[in-house]
Amino acid sequence: MSIDALAEAVAPLIEIRGLTKRFGANEVLRQVSLTIPRGQTVAVIGPSGSGKTTMLRCINLLEEFEDGEIFFDGEPIGYRVAADGRRRRLPERDIAASRSNIGIVFQSFNLFPHMTVLRNITAAPVRVRGIDRAVAERTARDLLARIGLADKADEYPIRLSGGQQQRVAIARALAMQPKLMLFDEVTSALDPELVGEVLAVIKQLAEDGMTMVLVTHEMQFARDVADTIVFMAEGQIVERGPPKALFANPQSERLRVFLRRYHEAYLL
Amino acid sequence: MPLDLNFIVRNLPLFGRGLIVTVELSLLAIGLAMAWGLVVAFGRMARVRWLRTVAGAYIELVRDTPVLVQMYFIYFGFSMAGFGMSGFLSGLLALSLQNGGYIAEIYRAGIESISVKQVEGGKALGMSRWDVMSIVVLPQALVRVISPLANQFIVIIKDTSLVSAIAVAELTQIGKLLTERSAASYEVFLTIAVLYLMMTGIVSGLSRLAERQFAIYH
Amino acid sequence: MIPQALLRNALYLLRGAEFTVLLSAGSIVLSTVVGAIVALSHAFGPTPLRILVELYLFLVRGIPLLILLFAMYYMLPYAGIDLNPIAGGILVIGIYYGAFMSQVFRAAILSLPKSQWDAARGLGMRLPLILQIVVFPQAFRIAAPPFVNTCMQLVKSTSLVSIIGLWELTMAGREAVERTLAPFQIFAGVALIYFCICFSLASYGRYLEKRMQYVH
Repeated sequence: MSIDALAEAVAPLIEIRGLTKRFGANEVLRQVSLTIPRGQTVAVIGPSGSGKTTMLRCINLLEEFEDGEIFFDGEPIGYRVAADGRRRRLPERDIAASRSNIGIVFQSFNLFPHMTVLRNITAAPVRVRGIDRAVAERTARDLLARIGLADKADEYPIRLSGGQQQRVAIARALAMQPKLMLFDEVTSALDPELVGEVLAVIKQLAEDGMTMVLVTHEMQFARDVADTIVFMAEGQIVERGPPKALFANPQSERLRVFLRRYHEAYLL
Repeated sequence: MPLDLNFIVRNLPLFGRGLIVTVELSLLAIGLAMAWGLVVAFGRMARVRWLRTVAGAYIELVRDTPVLVQMYFIYFGFSMAGFGMSGFLSGLLALSLQNGGYIAEIYRAGIESISVKQVEGGKALGMSRWDVMSIVVLPQALVRVISPLANQFIVIIKDTSLVSAIAVAELTQIGKLLTERSAASYEVFLTIAVLYLMMTGIVSGLSRLAERQFAIYH
Repeated sequence: MIPQALLRNALYLLRGAEFTVLLSAGSIVLSTVVGAIVALSHAFGPTPLRILVELYLFLVRGIPLLILLFAMYYMLPYAGIDLNPIAGGILVIGIYYGAFMSQVFRAAILSLPKSQWDAARGLGMRLPLILQIVVFPQAFRIAAPPFVNTCMQLVKSTSLVSIIGLWELTMAGREAVERTLAPFQIFAGVALIYFCICFSLASYGRYLEKRMQYVH
């Protein structure tokens, strides 16, 4: 392996430094710093209002942030701090380009209701990347087959169950061949019996080596799939570590309280 | 484009007279339309089927025909039939009948927008149908109709300009006469536009104030 | 009682109706174009443009259409512009109703949930593409019922051009009344013709609204 390739393989895919976001007077994210190596799965857990979703949305600039920097594959995202220390927003073109390399899946699927499943998946590759439609459709059908929905290609989202829609949403994000996948509580809006099929797809992605950040409530799943757990509360990262260690031996009181409540609520 | 302000000042009394007629017509039409709209709304929401149909047909009729034609119908029709109605009265009648229909729908939408749950809640507490209406539904419906009503009032004010076609010396007619007499069409147009904007602006402002007041009580 | 005067003049009135339809069609096209431009400017334009739009909407909201028609009729000749009266009518009505159309379009665009924008932007799409393939197709459906209703209001408003001497249905009616001295019959007939046009539009609008409820 050449020096460059080695360096690239070792460099983190995402580096977040001092991320700060305010909603008016309210500091939703305070100086959050996080590094995500290539090929790793990071699960972000924490109580609601802890800022986990906001942090996720800052990564592909669906949310603006007031301070701090985010580097994606070595390049700054959204804002660049010039040599004189001034913070400047990058041009829309660059922001859109970054977003096309980062896939995101939402809690409420957000499929385009007026397009078929196939078109939902091919629209961005064709119109944003300029991929030939026939090629894009073949890729889309492959993706659909891999997630077990090959026969739904010509259906409209409204005819699909929640779990199916979410899997299509994952395929739609994957069709852009992103280097990073973001998942924002993607099973929270699903009926319990549909959660499993979506988690299976995500697990497969992790095993295939995709770099992923998952915001989730599914503790068991986080423990199975994640390489690192990040626990956030009140806009800060309180604790982080490998799942086994973190869950077995929480270092902070905050995390202990959180896990206890989780045990009470879910494990009955 | 130099503006002849003197012209405007000289003719202020004339503009004023037209303005007064416009305001009179507007206020009367608004009042009548609100009252008549209430009657029509009751008909529209009545338990008796044929009443609902008649009210519905009436509303459809006045909504799908131009108010100008309605005015001509009344003005020329009655003057030919013997009892000549003045342009003012014909216009007033047409405006009230038409906007009564629109306002009836505004009332209905307001009342029907209060969720059925509230009505059921009231009934469960043992209130009579009338009590539920007056204590639970109407106060809330009132807030919701302020904005659409204000819009309709503005429509009424603007539609008073149509009576200039049936010889009523309201603001638009004055403007037309002045323009024909003199060459100062810009000044006339500007003055009249400003006067109408003032009237409609006042209605908008009052409605926003009213909404804010009601919002406090919620 | 046979409405003789009306029957004898029915054809005359219908010819007037042709002009009403012509006037309406032209104004609808113009107002749709104006409305689209204004709506996009209002929703996505830079601040100075948005202020201009607010001013435009304020003026249209507060000034009667008749005043503007008079202004065109009396003032343009002074400015040296010689405009074909029908074109002038279409121009004024089109620009006036452009304001109402813009409200309809803007409401439809804004009614799209933010989540659709999130998904589109998340895929790396930029504003023009998002508008073209995500927003417009959905907004079109949502805007259809109020669009049809606004068209109906526009048709009714064309009656105002009779006051500045343009020949269409209402003017034909007035002439027929002068000839026949049967105002009730004639104007009832005029109202009937308007009713047929407007009732069809209103019904179509209601049908579109019902259809939307089943899809969403």
